[in-house]
Amino acid sequence: MENIKLIINFLGQLLPAINITLIVSVSSIVLGSLLGLGLAAAKQSESAILRVFASIYVSVIRATPSIIMIFVVYYGMPLFFSAWFHINIEGWNRMYFVIIALTLLFSAPVSEIMRSAYGSVSKGQTEAGLMVGMTPFQTFYRIVLPQAFVVALPNFANSVINLMKEGALTFTIGVVDMVAKAQMIVANNSGGYAWQTYCALALIYWVISLAIDKGVTLVEKSYQAKRKTIAA
Amino acid sequence: MLKIEGLRKSYDGNEILKGISVDVSKGDVISIIGPSGSGKTTLLRNMTTLEQADGGHIQFADVDKDFQKLSSKDIQTIRRNVGFVFQNYNLFNNKTALQNITEGLIVARKVNKSEAKKIALEALERVGLSDRQNHYPSQLSGGQQQRVGIARAVALNPKVIFFDEPTSALDPELVGEVLKVMRDLAESGTTMVVVTHQMNFARNVSNKVIFMADGHIVEQGSPESIFEHPSEKRTQEFLTDILANV
Repeated sequence: MENIKLIINFLGQLLPAINITLIVSVSSIVLGSLLGLGLAAAKQSESAILRVFASIYVSVIRATPSIIMIFVVYYGMPLFFSAWFHINIEGWNRMYFVIIALTLLFSAPVSEIMRSAYGSVSKGQTEAGLMVGMTPFQTFYRIVLPQAFVVALPNFANSVINLMKEGALTFTIGVVDMVAKAQMIVANNSGGYAWQTYCALALIYWVISLAIDKGVTLVEKSYQAKRKTIAA
Repeated sequence: MLKIEGLRKSYDGNEILKGISVDVSKGDVISIIGPSGSGKTTLLRNMTTLEQADGGHIQFADVDKDFQKLSSKDIQTIRRNVGFVFQNYNLFNNKTALQNITEGLIVARKVNKSEAKKIALEALERVGLSDRQNHYPSQLSGGQQQRVGIARAVALNPKVIFFDEPTSALDPELVGEVLKVMRDLAESGTTMVVVTHQMNFARNVSNKVIFMADGHIVEQGSPESIFEHPSEKRTQEFLTDILANV
């Protein structure tokens, strides 16, 4: 009973920092998806250079542990920017570095997910769109993309949950997110109540993951329901 | 109305179409027959710019150019004046039967929604599927899907409708309903170019038959002349083979 009270108390202290986690996750998901889409397009492209570049990029990124990616971006990017563009970015909000690192990490699985989802929609769908007079873009946007989206959804949700968990490494470069907050609470209690504190933290992540999971299931169901509205 | 001259197409150095010329007049129902691999489907796909031909000339709907010099605007013009019925139907899987038909009208032709719906319902009525307008392709039989596919092409009111082996993917008992729709279209004066293995259709419905083999047009003429008095040995052999199997 005492423990539950403590956990609820810690929850109250951790939750205000959730906005950092949400900002970092949502930004990386949006930017990473766009980059992933670009990479998927590059992999389908006519140009061999683009294809090879995209393949190398994806294999390198996939082989980089998240924590190393965050450090490489955090320590490496300012040097790179001052040397190449003579711009000083050391004063940037540290959150930006995490967002960039996670965006890079997220783009790799997303590009693979999008590529296979796109491949799952038969070429005949595109041809039919073209032959009713739609432009290639209209055909992609109105016919192929909605079908690919449904196929990609479950895998995409998995990647989103992974990304959110990797976001727990944000504290490593000194951003005060929920994890950093938890560490502070434990430190303030001289190392006491550590498991209750982290338990509260874990609870928050569970709830977010569950929400993503449920949200995706709902969207999937609504797509299936749409196909079943009329029984013969 | 549609004139193709010297159409050529190769894949990996294999020449599939070796200079084909086709002339389609308004109201024509042309059947293209021939053994598998003779290039019939390839011909259709290249005539309609679904594939880029390696050589040849097209004269159709304001376009009078070599295939290789077609701009994307020319290609759009050609596509907006033809209808295409696919062997595998290729209905939009994320759209209902009705939406499959309205999609091209609304998005490509800029017809307003209520008008598009009216046209689509008429087209569905014509293929006998008014009661299936809200069904998705996965809820329709192959024959019904192909009839929607035909309605989709008809609704656009194109100058020519191309049929690429429209009954080849169907179970035998469903072939009849699709052929009936095509026969009705032909009788109402629709200009059609049909790649088919249905010799009865070629013989009884079309006014012109083209026999293709090995990337050439071997012989063309009225159904009577092709089926009763073929002048080429290759045509005779093909007809003997195929009629022996009926």
